[in-house]
Amino acid sequence: MTKSKQNLIDNIIRYTLLTFWLLIVLFPLFWIFSTSFKPDKDWLAWPPVYWSEEPTMSNYRNVWGGAMEYSETQYAQSVQKPFTALRNSTIISFISTFLSVSFGAFIAYGVSRYKVLSEARMFQLLMLRMVPPIIIVGPLSLYYTTIGMIDSLTGLIAIYFITTLPYAVWMSKSFIDEVPIELEQAAEIMGAGRWTIITEVVFPVIRSGLLATFLFILILTWSEYLVAFILSKTDAVTLPVELAKYEGSSEGRVYGRQAALSVGITFPLIIVGILIRKHLARGFSFGMIRK
Amino acid sequence: MARSLIMQQRRKRYQKMVLLPLIGSMLLILGPALFLQLYLSFNFYSIYSSGWWEAEWYALDIFIDVLKDTRFHASIFRSLLFATISTIGCFFIGFGLALLMYRNFRLQWFYYIIFIIPMLTVPIVIAYTAEMILYQKGPLNGILSMIFDREMMIMWITNPDIALFTVMLMEIWNWTPFSFIIMMAGLASLPKEPVEAAQILGASRLKIFFEIQLPLLRPIIILALVLRFLESMAEFPKTWAIFQGGPGTSTETIPVYIYLNTWYYFDWSKAAAMSYIVMFLMVVIILGAIKILQKENKRINQYQSN
Repeated sequence: MTKSKQNLIDNIIRYTLLTFWLLIVLFPLFWIFSTSFKPDKDWLAWPPVYWSEEPTMSNYRNVWGGAMEYSETQYAQSVQKPFTALRNSTIISFISTFLSVSFGAFIAYGVSRYKVLSEARMFQLLMLRMVPPIIIVGPLSLYYTTIGMIDSLTGLIAIYFITTLPYAVWMSKSFIDEVPIELEQAAEIMGAGRWTIITEVVFPVIRSGLLATFLFILILTWSEYLVAFILSKTDAVTLPVELAKYEGSSEGRVYGRQAALSVGITFPLIIVGILIRKHLARGFSFGMIRK
Repeated sequence: MARSLIMQQRRKRYQKMVLLPLIGSMLLILGPALFLQLYLSFNFYSIYSSGWWEAEWYALDIFIDVLKDTRFHASIFRSLLFATISTIGCFFIGFGLALLMYRNFRLQWFYYIIFIIPMLTVPIVIAYTAEMILYQKGPLNGILSMIFDREMMIMWITNPDIALFTVMLMEIWNWTPFSFIIMMAGLASLPKEPVEAAQILGASRLKIFFEIQLPLLRPIIILALVLRFLESMAEFPKTWAIFQGGPGTSTETIPVYIYLNTWYYFDWSKAAAMSYIVMFLMVVIILGAIKILQKENKRINQYQSN
């Protein structure tokens, strides 16, 4: 067999397999996208309706347009507050991520330059992330109820801050480690203090890395379900929790509305994730993989 | 000498400054919660009691009760099974895709972008989407019927023998990108010389893969497996949103069973005792995992600095 023939066969196999997986990846995304434009009767039709013949915006209008439009499927409107959820999700994820990355970056600097946490301690820090949250959320909700922090944004911000800190420390440390120490020594000779060196030399050098860390943790916090589900009731409900409310007691799920809301929740994250795709491996491996 | 003393002082000062918020927030938030958990597992409290501080002392009875609970045993087994199979599934598909893709080819960027999307999708959205798709008269059975040219009515959601497998499929769809990106990074960072040398010597591709690439990739493979396994043990949204532990008890993993005990049976004490046992179990697993990671991390660092 000649080499070019071998190459051709290789390519055919490669593209077939890759395209097969591509379809598996895209189908659910396509389905939720298409369902968000389907009128009620197409949600559960058989044979399945892949793309509705009468696409409608009514699902989007119903979710985001103040629930003006009722259709055949009636369901309790009063419990749904998509805008409150959107506001909550935005506030909670941005503030907790900001706190986590800023404190995390300072800790990371200390670890990288002064070893303020030994290697063993750094690995123990990972436990905050690795112990399943379910084992603590019960008592935590009781504690929050006792001190009046249940169903509050502060409560959620605090717990997200703690549980994302390992990612923030590890990921930003992996960037700080790459900053040459000579740069800091030069600044020191010119009389810069520690604070100036960190905020005006080190952080600016790794700002794209810090931004990637920020966006990475934002993705995690924005999608978190369990903790938000348990620690919120009405006021602090986040988008993933809100999604479960599009469910009638007798009619089952309100698929079209859920799909419309899902598209809104997921789409921004996918864009953000694609923007930081080069750093995702670093993030998910706690900075252990750097390429 | 003087210089190292100054360094020492600086270190101390910096340490105090940055670690204070970390330790403070842990003491303020996690401390009381952990204390309550311990308290509840020795004092009987359910939602019908007046206040948790008036719970009755039960000594070790709650723990004994939990240890005898066969549903709890089953949930531990189920979680381990779920985490093991979905980790292996994610890994093989992810590694396979990475092997097909790590050499540059024309549409590499395009496939890469599409392949990472599942990981960026909100898990609860995946659950609801899966429900729409796996519905007995839903599109998946529709497509399967078309392919096999006969009515395929697999009860993905309502058949207790299949339900856990369905959750595994969701988990694999969701997290294959994780193994994929890590293995892509691993394959990209491999030194080229050994492979080229072997090629010149006429080694077959299979031989190169098993005898050169695979051993070099070992630390990264372990990293991918360990991290995924730990996260799978904690999986909740996808299992809960569709199944709530059912049909029967077929998808009752540890998180689901603890959740049910707390918020459906209102048996807070039992849930707390269970959580303690699970925490103990997980800490043992995690310490093992950390030992492994620590060792492999050194190796990864070694050849990343090359």
